[in-house]
Amino acid sequence: MLKKPAALVVLDLLSLTLVPVAMLIIIVYTPVEVVMGPVQKVFYFHISAAWAGMVCFILGAVGGAGYLLTRRIRWDWLSSAAIEVGLVFSIITIFSGMIWARPIWNTWWVWDPRLTTTAIMTLIYLAYFILRAGVSTPEAQARLGAVFAILAALTVPLTFFSIRLFRTIHPVVIAPADGAGGAFSMSPRMLNTLLISLLVFTVLLVDLVWRRVRLAQFEFEMTREVE
Amino acid sequence: MATITLPPELPRIDVHSLVKRYHRHPVLNQLSLTINSGDFCLLVGDNGAGKTTLLRILAGLVRPSQGAATLCGADALSNPLVRREIGYVGHQPMVYQDLSAYENLLHSARLYQLENSEERISQALQALGLAAQQHQPVRALSRGLLQRLSLARATLHQPSILLFDEPYTSLDQEAAGFLDRSLQNWHRPERIILLAAHRPQRLLSLASHVAWLKDGRIDAHIPVSALAGSPELNNYLREVT
Amino acid sequence: MKAIGAYLGVVWQILRKDIRVEWRGRQGLPVMLMFALMIVFLFNFALQLAPDVQAGLTSGLLWVSLAFASTLGLNRSISLERENNALDGLLLAPVDRSAIFFGKTLGNFCFTTLVGLLLLPVFSLFYGQNLIRAPLLLVMLLGLAAYTSLGTLLSALSIQARTRDVLLPVLLYPLALPILIAAVEASRGVLAEQPLAEMSSWIYLLLAGTLIFNAAGLLFFETILEE
Repeated sequence: MLKKPAALVVLDLLSLTLVPVAMLIIIVYTPVEVVMGPVQKVFYFHISAAWAGMVCFILGAVGGAGYLLTRRIRWDWLSSAAIEVGLVFSIITIFSGMIWARPIWNTWWVWDPRLTTTAIMTLIYLAYFILRAGVSTPEAQARLGAVFAILAALTVPLTFFSIRLFRTIHPVVIAPADGAGGAFSMSPRMLNTLLISLLVFTVLLVDLVWRRVRLAQFEFEMTREVE
Repeated sequence: MATITLPPELPRIDVHSLVKRYHRHPVLNQLSLTINSGDFCLLVGDNGAGKTTLLRILAGLVRPSQGAATLCGADALSNPLVRREIGYVGHQPMVYQDLSAYENLLHSARLYQLENSEERISQALQALGLAAQQHQPVRALSRGLLQRLSLARATLHQPSILLFDEPYTSLDQEAAGFLDRSLQNWHRPERIILLAAHRPQRLLSLASHVAWLKDGRIDAHIPVSALAGSPELNNYLREVT
Repeated sequence: MKAIGAYLGVVWQILRKDIRVEWRGRQGLPVMLMFALMIVFLFNFALQLAPDVQAGLTSGLLWVSLAFASTLGLNRSISLERENNALDGLLLAPVDRSAIFFGKTLGNFCFTTLVGLLLLPVFSLFYGQNLIRAPLLLVMLLGLAAYTSLGTLLSALSIQARTRDVLLPVLLYPLALPILIAAVEASRGVLAEQPLAEMSSWIYLLLAGTLIFNAAGLLFFETILEE
C-alpha cells in the first residue's frame, strides 16, 4: 500500500475545512441579492462547479496528449481521473443551475449558453466512459480515450460559440424579470465570495483528481500482485 | 521494366528486446531475433504464444510496448517506405467481397504505385491459377482460391520480406501442395521468408531455419540441418504435428 | 514530390474503391436516402405542425435527416474495411496512414452529399419552397465537409469497440452539435433570403470545424488504428 504523501494530507484537510467555511461565508457574509432573493446564493457554487468542470475537461485532454506522446500509463490515470471528477462537477453545475432557475423563472431549465454547453459536456464525458467500457484492452482504452478527450476539448469552444450565437438570434421565450438571463450586478462582497468559492473548488478539484489517480495506481498495483 | 528498387543492402530482420502487452501479462517478453537474407525461417510455438503478434509488429500493424523491430534497418510502423519491402499474409484475406480478384489486385497495385500493373496482375493471376475466375466477385471463391488471391496480393509488389501467418490453415491437399511449390519459388538468396506454422513438420524440407517462440521469447533459433542436436525442439516439432 | 504523388494516389484509390464497391452492391445509398425520407415523414406526423410553421422548420429537418442518414453511411463505410480485414491491406500501403483518413472521408463526403442533393428537390416538393439554390448548396457542402470528417474519425474509433455500430452516434452527436447548429442556422438564413454576409459567423464556424477535424484526422487517424 502506498503511503499518502504529506501534500495530499494537507490538501485533504484543506478541502474538508474550506468547503464548510465557504458555505458559512456565503450564508452569513454575503448580502442577499435584491431581485432573486436567497436562492441566488446557489450561484457561487454553481459557477465554481462549472469552472472546475471546465478545468477537468482541459486536464483530461492534457492527460490524453501526455499519454499519446509518452505512452506511459500514468498519463491515462490523470486523463480518466480528471474526466471522472469533471463529470461529477458538471452534474453539480446542472443541478445547481436547475435549483437556481426554478424559483426565479418558474422553469427547471433555461437554454442559457453556459448551462447548455455544460449539459453537452456532460454527455461527452459520459460518451468517453461508454467508449472505454466498450474496448477490451487497457492499452486501447488509454489510447482511444486519449484521442477522444483531445477531440472533445477541441470542440468545446466551437460548442460554446455556436450556442451563444444561437441565443443572440433566438432569445429565450421565458425571459427572466430582469431581462438579462440571470445577470445581476455584483457588489464587492459578492465578488469576494465568488473568488473565494472559485479558490475552494480549485483546491477540491486537485484533491479529488489526485485521490482518483492514486486509486487507479492502486488498482494497477493490485492486478500486478494477483499475477 | 519494373522500377521497384531493392534496398541498397540485402534485407535483414532485427528484433531487440521486444515487449508487447495487451493486458498486464506481456505476450512478447524481451524477444530478440535476427534473420538474414536468404533465410526461410519457420516460426513455431503453441497457440497464443505470440506468433501472430510478432508478425504483425514486423509488418507495422501493431505498436510494440517496448523494444524495436526493424526490417532493412527501419521499423515498418513509422517508416512507410519500408512497407514497400514487406509482403504480409494474415489470417484474413484482406479483400473486398463485392469486387473481383482482378479488381482487388488492381486496387493493391495502385496502393503500391506499381508500374505495368496490368501486366503484373495477369502474370500473378496466371502463376497462381486464378486466371479463370479473375472477374468473378470474390465472395464466390472457395477458401483455397481465396488463399491464392491473398498470396497474389502479398507478392504483387515483389517484396523482399515475406511474412506468413499460418497460411496452411483449412487448405486442402491440392492447395497445400500449390503453396509448397510457391514457397519454393519465392525462396531466394535476396529474400527473407518468415512463416508461422501450426504444423511445421512437413515444412522442414522447405525451410532453412526454425525459431521457437516460447514464454514470450525465442527459445531456440537454429538451422534445420542442426535440428538433430536439439532434442527438445525436435520433440516439440514431432508432438505438434 | 514523388512522395506527395504516392500519397495522393492512395487517397484517390481509396475513394475510387469505395465508389466501385458501392456501385457493385448498391446498398448504401438507397438505404441512406430511404432513411432520410422516413425521418421526414416521421417528424411530419409526430409533430403535426401547421403548414406555415412547417416551412420554418425545413432547414432543421433537412439537417437532422442528413445527420442520421450520414451515420448509416459512416458505419457502412468503416464496416466494409472490417470484413476480411481489408483495413490491414490499407495499413500496409507504403504511405502515411492519414491518406486512409482522407480517402475514407472523401468517400463519406461524396455519398452524404449525394443524398443531400437528392433530398433538396424532395423537400422543395413537400414544403413548397425552392431549396435548390446556390447559397444553400454552399452551406450544405461546408456543413457536410465538417460533419463527415469528424464522423470518419469517430467511426474509426468506434470500430475498435465491441459495441461498434451503436457507439458511433453516442460519440458523434455531442461533438457534432456546433456543426449542426451552424449548418441549420446558415440554411435557415439562406431560405429566408438573407444575404450571405449576415451568416458569415456560421460559415466561419463551419470552416473552423472543417479545418479542426481534418487536422485531427491528419494527426490521430494512425494512432486510432494501431494496436
